[in-house]
Amino acid sequence: MNPTAGLKVLSLPFDHESTDVLIGSYLSHDAAHDDYQAALACGAYLHGAIVVAKDMTGRVTVEQSDHMVSEVARGLGTIGFLSGLAVFPLIPLTTGFGALMGGVLGEAMHLLTETKVKDQAATMIPLGCAALILAYPRSSATDVQPVVRRAVTQVTGQANGHHLQALRGALADAQQHLATTGP
Amino acid sequence: MTEPDRTTLPLAAPEFGGTANHTLRGSEPDWNLIRHPAPPQGAPNVLLVLIDDAGFGNPSTFGGPIDTPNYTRLAEGGLRYNRFHVTALCSPTRAALLTGRNNHAVGFGSVGEFSSGFPGYTAMVPLECAPLPRILRDNGYSTAAFGKWHMTPDGQQGPAGPLGRWPNGWGFDYFYGFLGGDSGQWDPCLAENQKIIGTPAAYYDKQSPYYLPDAMADKTVEWLHGVRGQEADKPFFVYFSTGCSHAPHHVASEWADKYKGRFDHGWDRLREEVFERQQQLGVVPADAELTPRDDAFPAWDDVPPRLQAYYARQMEVYAGFSENADHNVGRVIDAIEELGELDNTLVIWIWGDNGASMEGTITGSFNEMTMQNGIPLTDEMQLQLAERYGGAESWGGPIMDPHYSAAWAWAGNTPFKWGKQVGSHLGGTRDPMVIHWPERIVDPGGLRSQFTHVTDVGATILDIAGIPAPSRVDGVEQEPLHGVSFADSLIDAAAPERHTQQYFETMGNRAMYKDGWWLAMKTPRIPWVVTPEALKPYAPDVWDPDAGPAELYYLPDDFTQAHDLAADHPEKVQQLKDLFWQEAERYKVLPLLATLSSFFGIMPPLEAAGKNEYRGDVQDVAPGMIPRIYNRSYAISADLLVPDEGAEGVIVAEADHLGGFSLFVDAGRLTHTYSMMGVFVYRQQADTPLPTGEVNVRIEFAADAAKPATGGQVTLFVNGAQVGGGRMDHTVPMRFSAYAGMDIGRDNGGVVDLSYADRAPFAFTGTVKKVVFDVKSHRKAKDEQAVHAVAHQAHAAHGLSS
Repeated sequence: MNPTAGLKVLSLPFDHESTDVLIGSYLSHDAAHDDYQAALACGAYLHGAIVVAKDMTGRVTVEQSDHMVSEVARGLGTIGFLSGLAVFPLIPLTTGFGALMGGVLGEAMHLLTETKVKDQAATMIPLGCAALILAYPRSSATDVQPVVRRAVTQVTGQANGHHLQALRGALADAQQHLATTGP
Repeated sequence: MTEPDRTTLPLAAPEFGGTANHTLRGSEPDWNLIRHPAPPQGAPNVLLVLIDDAGFGNPSTFGGPIDTPNYTRLAEGGLRYNRFHVTALCSPTRAALLTGRNNHAVGFGSVGEFSSGFPGYTAMVPLECAPLPRILRDNGYSTAAFGKWHMTPDGQQGPAGPLGRWPNGWGFDYFYGFLGGDSGQWDPCLAENQKIIGTPAAYYDKQSPYYLPDAMADKTVEWLHGVRGQEADKPFFVYFSTGCSHAPHHVASEWADKYKGRFDHGWDRLREEVFERQQQLGVVPADAELTPRDDAFPAWDDVPPRLQAYYARQMEVYAGFSENADHNVGRVIDAIEELGELDNTLVIWIWGDNGASMEGTITGSFNEMTMQNGIPLTDEMQLQLAERYGGAESWGGPIMDPHYSAAWAWAGNTPFKWGKQVGSHLGGTRDPMVIHWPERIVDPGGLRSQFTHVTDVGATILDIAGIPAPSRVDGVEQEPLHGVSFADSLIDAAAPERHTQQYFETMGNRAMYKDGWWLAMKTPRIPWVVTPEALKPYAPDVWDPDAGPAELYYLPDDFTQAHDLAADHPEKVQQLKDLFWQEAERYKVLPLLATLSSFFGIMPPLEAAGKNEYRGDVQDVAPGMIPRIYNRSYAISADLLVPDEGAEGVIVAEADHLGGFSLFVDAGRLTHTYSMMGVFVYRQQADTPLPTGEVNVRIEFAADAAKPATGGQVTLFVNGAQVGGGRMDHTVPMRFSAYAGMDIGRDNGGVVDLSYADRAPFAFTGTVKKVVFDVKSHRKAKDEQAVHAVAHQAHAAHGLSS
């Protein structure tokens, strides 16, 4: 990982406006992938999109947008984008008796390589589940959010500021929503 | 030989009619002494076929969308009965069918899993009610049962029995099938006679996998050939009871694919089409009206387009599954024909032991047990979970235990309202029946519309066989049959209607029929909703059944129950209500809602929580007999002998990846996997390798609280030292599986952790000496009582759907 990668994004458009981060949780990789594809196809500008999934045998896969790769090649870079994201525990479901599951957001953001994302996902994503993370400028929200249709739970964080700071802020906001969203 | 007195069973041995001198000099044998009892002259063979969880509007023979060529073949050579009635639940119908008596009167107010302390709900047939197979066997029939049984209480399904309530105890010479309420068709946990034999070895054959419906037909034909090889003329009684069409809906895709696209127009249009065909066939009168959709079911047009394909596939699989059942019954019939005995075989084929099942809830489910464990999942969640396990193309395969939407069941019950569990309406209680007996039926292809009931079947078989219902069996005075013979209707379309009065009751849903009038008293509860909120209005001090809604129909003029006449005939309503209470008293229906009593805290005494020990060769423990680890803390420990080269494999496993747990060793590490109904799957693994030699391993689950589905902490130990752990935020509140068993030293059938599926059954390569379950009591008595209540609800909830 290039530790200075983040510095390259200073000139990117999202320096100068609010950044949103949407996190969706899914019970299947297919569903997360559908929303991921829909987000890519919606025509709006995205800073990045990523799907992290764990199959029933425990194998973790990470899928990221070509769009992101091409965009961030000019700035943030693949590794740089990943460095801004942490993988969050998925929001739990209810049982018939209203029992709560989890909801603990213990992980702070870390600068992670893709390998680290996988490692963390291996711990935090339940077997068979998946997460979708989208980052986009606020101006894209009206186009992006409606196409995310299949998430079992979905939160959006927002922040203003300078590239990574905005991203971090949006993630933190999303985390906060995640903690309070539940059955 | 003189005709024996058949009113007392067993038949008395004949008096010795020969001579026995001091030696053989002058002695004369009496060969009658060593003959087996002979049936009355001309007693026919009997093939009794019962399809599970299916409705009046399912088979094409009755206008339905499911192709049933063999059912139609028999109907065209025999008779269709379009006013035949069952109870609205599995075990009760089966008990009534095989005893000729009302279900409550023989202890089956509910299902076999829910054996309780009221006379009508024990799930134990009284000695005063000797069953039909016992009567036939004692009168000289060879008897055999294949497939679903569902009349052995949960707690009696092991080698310690008692075995009197297994099929052999009911009078079947031979049994091959499953004891519970349902079974996987790919990976059943089978019983043969008085032994659980588990999942067949052919399950692991990738080229030619085991499939229960095929095996049932094979076994039946094999048995028939064996009987005929020994006795050319001895009549047989075969009870062929399919697991189809109960969930899980398991069938090869080529059967389901025959229906691709045929349900894309949805359940509303399907009902209209079926109704039209039913009227064309004449099984529904021309002046009948199609009943409307209840608000409990969504309109097909309101289903989001992206979900319609998912729903349509559910019905495609159900249809293919059902057609396969028709195919396999056809194979049995072909075999009888090949023996040259079809003309003298009375075939009674009932398409449904209750109406089609609405227990999949509106969404349907990738796993039938989600509803039974009270896990609410939206349609989108269900879709995603189905995708997780392979998507639409895997619906019907061994990876899922699927159940379709309640709305498809409603369509399957066309033209009636409601379905299974709803004993108040015809959707739950009226099913097709075909009778085939070329030797006697004079108008093949005819239709019969006499009111008939499942209790009549036994009486009719005995009547045709010339065997009286015994008044004394094993010295016990017998309760007379409650059903009446409809044998004369076989040869006379205008035969008088003999069954003029019948009560119905299932889970508080009641009906009283008399002379054409039908009083329907349905509880307002939606049948598939068993939440505490939904049950609250029926608590002991709250519910007044007489204050509930009542609908009145006159069936001779209103075949479908489309016109409620209650407001016009209040005196008739009251008269039938009064009659219902009289019948309820007479036939042990009381107390109403006994099936749900555990939900209201009426439960058997607490079992002592404690230890269960299993030696290393114990396998296929029935799912209702595993240690009750639900909703509480527990420990599972195992004494192992690990060879120097190390070991791998399963130490103990219950059920499969759709609900269950497994403690196993993989890659040298102790591992614990717990599947919360396949929705959440947790896995914890030891940080250190398993040592060799004598090793003790242990998993402890520390429950957060005495509450249903409690989360908690898992800790793994090896030789007393902590080696790993993790959190499980949800646990199974009621029951892991309807059919999959628990094994020591291996994971038979479907496996719990799919990471070792390719090594199944993943037998332990060391030695499992002993596995001990230590189920902990909660510290406070009230907590213990609460958990006990929940644990017992497991029986009830399971029973609701079996």
